[in-house]
Amino acid sequence: MMMTWYAIDTWIVVVGCLAAVACALPGNFLVLRKMSMMGDAISHAVLPGLAIAFIVTGARASLTMFIAAAIVGVLTAVFTQWISKFGKVDRGASMGIVFTTLFALGLILIVRAADHVDLDPSCVLYGAIELTPLDVVWRPELFGQTLDVPRAALILAGVTLLNLLFIVIFFKELRISSFDPELATTMGINAGLMHYLLMTLVAITTVAAFEAVGSIIVIAMLITPAAAAHLLTDRLASMIVISVVLAMLSAVLGHLSALIVPGWFGYAGTSTAGMMAVMSGVIFAVVLLFAPRYGILKLGPARHSD
Amino acid sequence: MNFYKATLFRIFLLPLSLAMCACGAERSSSADASDSDDRYKIVSTVGMITDVVRHVAGEHAEVAGLIGEGVDPHLYQPTRGDVVKLQQADVIFYNGLLLEGKMADVLSRMANSGKPVHAVTERILQDDAYIMMQDDGSGYADPHVWMDVAAWRTGVEVIAEALAAYDPANAADYRSRAAAYSSKLKALHQYALDAMATIPADQRVLVTAHDAFQYMGRVYGLEVRGIQGISTESEAGLRDVETLIHFIVERRIPAVFVETSVSDKNIRALIEGARARGHAVRIGGALFSDAMGKPGTYQGTYIGMIDHNVTTIVNALGGQAGGFASESH
Repeated sequence: MMMTWYAIDTWIVVVGCLAAVACALPGNFLVLRKMSMMGDAISHAVLPGLAIAFIVTGARASLTMFIAAAIVGVLTAVFTQWISKFGKVDRGASMGIVFTTLFALGLILIVRAADHVDLDPSCVLYGAIELTPLDVVWRPELFGQTLDVPRAALILAGVTLLNLLFIVIFFKELRISSFDPELATTMGINAGLMHYLLMTLVAITTVAAFEAVGSIIVIAMLITPAAAAHLLTDRLASMIVISVVLAMLSAVLGHLSALIVPGWFGYAGTSTAGMMAVMSGVIFAVVLLFAPRYGILKLGPARHSD
Repeated sequence: MNFYKATLFRIFLLPLSLAMCACGAERSSSADASDSDDRYKIVSTVGMITDVVRHVAGEHAEVAGLIGEGVDPHLYQPTRGDVVKLQQADVIFYNGLLLEGKMADVLSRMANSGKPVHAVTERILQDDAYIMMQDDGSGYADPHVWMDVAAWRTGVEVIAEALAAYDPANAADYRSRAAAYSSKLKALHQYALDAMATIPADQRVLVTAHDAFQYMGRVYGLEVRGIQGISTESEAGLRDVETLIHFIVERRIPAVFVETSVSDKNIRALIEGARARGHAVRIGGALFSDAMGKPGTYQGTYIGMIDHNVTTIVNALGGQAGGFASESH
């Protein structure tokens, strides 16, 4: 099977990179705060939001579904924080409590009020990265060539920029409140406010990226690049930079191997979204083996003698 | 350390070499493209549309379908190859009425940007009285219009007019081809009406896995019952099955039907349930609902699909049908 590189392949890679970076940026703080499954939690927790939006508006319009999902995403983060703070429950467990309860509430709402309506998130919320290049909203002229910029690329570029600005502006506050909330409080930093801002950003990023490229890329990129970067460095700034590089590498390798690998077995091509997530896992495995200090093979110079 | 470096080197070399393969291949395949003919490209979503488009377009265009046999269009996931086809297409046809799910959003946005993208149900949509609502309270139009052959003939007109507008030089040819095909459909419609009328009146009940047959039921005089609510795995789903079993036993329905693109698990549950109450109901056959048969076979065409469905239903419910194919040849 002959492989041809089209303009849409470039856009799929660009959109994939933007989605990966948009998720990897806040993902660093999720990993450090032991809240990595936030993306997965939100992907389940949005169900009651979709159901309520359907019951209230009586329609499955994409915009209302998006807004409802974003609101429930923020609520998931807020409830998780409340339960872990007031109930003295581990964050992972309180996240589990919140999203399973919300998901179950969503199921009940759907059966009670909107039975037989296809309100599955995969139907009304999740986009497909393969389709993004067809949805062109902006055609700027550049060096005599017309660029067909997809809607998803603009949205994700906006989200990436928002995340980047937030991290750059509040870098000091984020770092201290991530590692030592008590110290942050004594230094006059409102660690709680920082947390809610960050979680709001995570919810918006997650839902926007779900809408643009589907769920699996988002859930993978929130965790894996940041976790791999954490194996390679102890410094927050370099961890963020490395996670961004690894996220982009996963996206590029993901699309290339989605095109090429199935050809070895006689198939025409496979899911790009799936392959991007698989590649982030492969990259993590490589890092886990070969990371100089924390890797399994311990190839780098040891700093401490244990 | 050497091992480490060599491995790293290989890891980073791999994508590079892959990229080179990709670029190298581009040259060779662009050579193929240049010697391909000057026919324009049409892409359509489901097989029922692709088949009609082939009949209308004839040798003037290259027609490709996206959603293959046995695939449920509600669950279809577009691949990158499909997107390439959509982007290179000169004309695109889709069903509309939300059959194609979220992809329809993208298709209608492509239509707004000036590309000839047409929903074949657009002419039916102008007639509000025709469109049936899905029998589930969702307030959504039932997309399975092709089950009513008379209605599908309006889709043939939509296709012919769209092609005539895109390629005016051959407009007369498209219209005459469409007229010839449409008259075949008219005969098929008459065959279905006649065949359905041979089913004993109290047995004109069609029980299937999902409600894709409402239009067929209305136009050909069948009462349609589908198993619903089961997909939500709710208690209500079980109650629906109970009600349906009761109905089958009460009315002494001789046969229920499975569908090629939907799991037959729920239909088997019905048969077991009816047997437990002492009524033997059998599977009357597999119907094509959202997808046609294998390409190249008679059931892989729109006419063959409808013929198969009608003939199977009529014979299983106690009527007499010899098949449209054997009748017309």
